[in-house]
Amino acid sequence: MATLVLDNGAYTAKIGYSLEKVSVIPNCQFRSKNSRLKTFTANQLDEIKDPSGLFYILPFQKGYLVNWDVQRKVWDHLFGKEMFKVDFADTSIIITEPYFNFTSIQESMNEILFEEYQFQSALRINGGSLSAHHCFHSKPSELCCLVVDSGFSFTHIAPYCRSKKLNHGIRRINVGGKLLTNHLKEIISYRQLHVMDETHVINQVKEDVCYVSQQFYKDMEIAQLRGEDNDLMRDYVLPDFSAIKKGFCKPREEMVFSGKYKTGEQILRLVNERFAVPETLFHPSDIGIQEMGIPEAIVDSVQSLPEEMQPHLYQNIVLTGGNMLFPGFRERLEAELRSLVPAHLPVSVLLPPNPVCHAWEGGKLLAHSPDFDEMVVTREEYEENGHCVCEDKFDI
Amino acid sequence: RPQKKIAGQRRVLDEATRQRRLTRQLEALEKDNFQDDPLSSLPPPGPTARLPAFSETEEPGKRKTRGDHFKQRFRKNFTALLEEENLSERPEPNYLSAAAPPSSLPPRHFCCVCGFPSHYTCSTCGGRYCSCKCLSTHRETRCLKWTL
Ligand SMILES: [Zn+2]
Ligand SMILES: [Zn+2]
Repeated sequence: MATLVLDNGAYTAKIGYSLEKVSVIPNCQFRSKNSRLKTFTANQLDEIKDPSGLFYILPFQKGYLVNWDVQRKVWDHLFGKEMFKVDFADTSIIITEPYFNFTSIQESMNEILFEEYQFQSALRINGGSLSAHHCFHSKPSELCCLVVDSGFSFTHIAPYCRSKKLNHGIRRINVGGKLLTNHLKEIISYRQLHVMDETHVINQVKEDVCYVSQQFYKDMEIAQLRGEDNDLMRDYVLPDFSAIKKGFCKPREEMVFSGKYKTGEQILRLVNERFAVPETLFHPSDIGIQEMGIPEAIVDSVQSLPEEMQPHLYQNIVLTGGNMLFPGFRERLEAELRSLVPAHLPVSVLLPPNPVCHAWEGGKLLAHSPDFDEMVVTREEYEENGHCVCEDKFDI
Repeated sequence: RPQKKIAGQRRVLDEATRQRRLTRQLEALEKDNFQDDPLSSLPPPGPTARLPAFSETEEPGKRKTRGDHFKQRFRKNFTALLEEENLSERPEPNYLSAAAPPSSLPPRHFCCVCGFPSHYTCSTCGGRYCSCKCLSTHRETRCLKWTL
């Protein structure tokens, strides 16, 4: 029997069989200006030659699965003959859900997995629990671990002790990659060029130029300098999807510091936007969200837990999710925690090689662990006992 | 400077309006798209043409799900689902109790025009600005006529 691991994110699905490698695929549908009648599903995005003004249809809202029509279209595509060719009767699925997932969504999930697709068995679990499993698996001597998962919809801080999730310590910050991209879109549109319709393009700009500052006010000073002294300034060449397929930063030596470019490309000049946007993860109140930033929320979470656990949590903090790809994130978080946490406690923040797929890799390890068979619910068990057997076994 | 005279004539937004504006700004940051669905902006179809009504189509030969009741349950938005959970009556921790509390750090202020640290507050709308130049841009663009 095969096990399919699906970390079902609100922006991308991380999917693959437990003996194979992972694929990262858009978990949504698209429509484009140039082929308005067609709806593109998941990786059919690659067929869209001109994705300017790309329209997104997302199955998730605020991190929770609400649009099942879209989700099933994506899953039909992923499970179908074009992609994973799932033999449902002979396949077990590990699928992730957000923390504190709503009861009705959990029940819909059971129905769709067991009644619609008819998987042989299923394990529904939080993505963070897979990351924690990854951690306890690779370092069996660790007692605790604190997963910081910052994705598309929000950021969670989730403590684990001896592979048990500590629900009381979970904190959610309503800042994720979608909000950061929308914020960048908004300030660019106000300051230089209307790009409100260009989520896809500006998301790429964010990934290409944004970083987490190590000295925020110092960088603000540098960003105010004129001309060549301003080494934070970047000129980003926007794609036109004919000659320029993908945007890029002008090489330093080709930058024109005063006056206009004569090359006719469309250019965005990015300065304080580069680090002020990711800064929202550290200070949500900068844009009016009255919530703690990540370092403060980590301390709030750890302090809510028994004192003997606290040192173990601070020295084993694991970063997962797409926002961890901002350069400088780990260093900044470690430095801020160092100043917030009592000096006698060691602080250690770990950035896995692939933070986006870390949970998926944890799921892959779990599929081969001796406990796995005990953790799943089989279709037979579901047909006999309905939702209660899932409620008993799954820790969501 | 003519500011005083202008200030005398300018409307001052009350706290509730300022809060509403902030809420609207934050809601805009949650949107999936700013533009309209390209499908909906097509001209109306001719008498024979049939638009594929999105999310209503069942491809022929597909396994049908159960009755209307089942379908209804799959059509609720986040707010409806959250209400249905009735979390204020449920034991903690839950979705609501897990929200990170407000920061205890002092708020930081940035110019709403250029994004650099700011020291001044617009007396009309409470927006922040850093210089005369940014204040005048702010007044010309967003101050009393905020559009996104
Ligand atoms: Zn300014
Ligand atoms: Zn104003």
